[in-house]
Amino acid sequence: MSSILLVEPDQTLASIYKKALEGLGHSVVCRRTAESAVMALDATPTDLVILELNMALHNGIEFLYEMRSYPEWQSIQVILHTNVRKTQLNSPVLDRLDVSDYLYKPTTKLTQLQESVEAVLQKKT
Amino acid sequence: MTSNIEHKSYTVEAEKRLFDTLAENLKLPFLTIARSAELATLTGDLSQLGTIESVSDSALRLLDNYLLSTRLQNAGDDLILEPVSLAASLAEVAHNLETLAAKHNCDLELHIAGKYQPIMAHTSGLFAALLSLGQVFISAQSQQVHTKRSMIKLATHRTRHGIVAGMFADVEGLSTDMLRRAHQLYGKSYNPLISLSANTGAEVFVADSLLKSMSSGLRVARHQKLTGLAATFTPSQQLALV
Repeated sequence: MSSILLVEPDQTLASIYKKALEGLGHSVVCRRTAESAVMALDATPTDLVILELNMALHNGIEFLYEMRSYPEWQSIQVILHTNVRKTQLNSPVLDRLDVSDYLYKPTTKLTQLQESVEAVLQKKT
Repeated sequence: MTSNIEHKSYTVEAEKRLFDTLAENLKLPFLTIARSAELATLTGDLSQLGTIESVSDSALRLLDNYLLSTRLQNAGDDLILEPVSLAASLAEVAHNLETLAAKHNCDLELHIAGKYQPIMAHTSGLFAALLSLGQVFISAQSQQVHTKRSMIKLATHRTRHGIVAGMFADVEGLSTDMLRRAHQLYGKSYNPLISLSANTGAEVFVADSLLKSMSSGLRVARHQKLTGLAATFTPSQQLALV
């Protein structure tokens, strides 16, 4: 069982993704903002962050920069699960921020999200 | 003639941007419906049907408000405004927001300072705009990190320009500059109203479009140390003639 931090601003969607991931036997903590996500990382050991980039106040890229600035959080895997199209993202920046997978949320089914999570967590072990 | 063509071009541009904002915004409810249905299929969890219902209703309301706003805008000088009690409208909006506010741990407070004569407005347009704003503010409050229960005021006050009415709360980052940038960015940016919404904020821009047909349109305003979005309405002169 792994510990997942789901950073998703929409409460309803977060609840759906949480149930789908808990169905795989993982423990899932949900947070809606970058600030509260950083606090959650501080409070609970985390194996994987699933991250939406579009959030109120501070976006997912800002959160990633913050997260990767701490040595103790370097080993945490990150899956971008976002409404932002890949063509609009800066690939070199994402490489520097060590993102393990990118999923375009509008077209990604729950089963595909589950497969990506399992694949990324397996790579870690 | 030239100025009419320019005005028409501007209106077409504004309508297109509002439509783009709406389209991007509506991806979220459709995504929620699709994933709810998928989860129900995977797990047999029929409680997802409740989610599908409420999200569908919310999306339909937004679409309906958008269509109402285009109808009111296109009516132009033919739009008939009537005397409307702002206090009664705000009270009805507050009543309709109660369930959502409770779900998001927010308290609602109605603050009608003094007695006002009716304002000139379009009744259903006014209600739709204020209700949309209330929903956005409730959602925004629940996203911010608060140490205590958050409060949203549905309030009015008088200024020399007319009667101001809107939603007010302790919202981080809401300012005139932010709103001005949002007006420049909507239809192009994923979340132009960064203080209020992680989505495109279509509800706010549709509310603004509704209110512009009968008032000043939305601007950032202050009410008792709270910041919010409000419009300025013209008081009805009917009683003044009596």
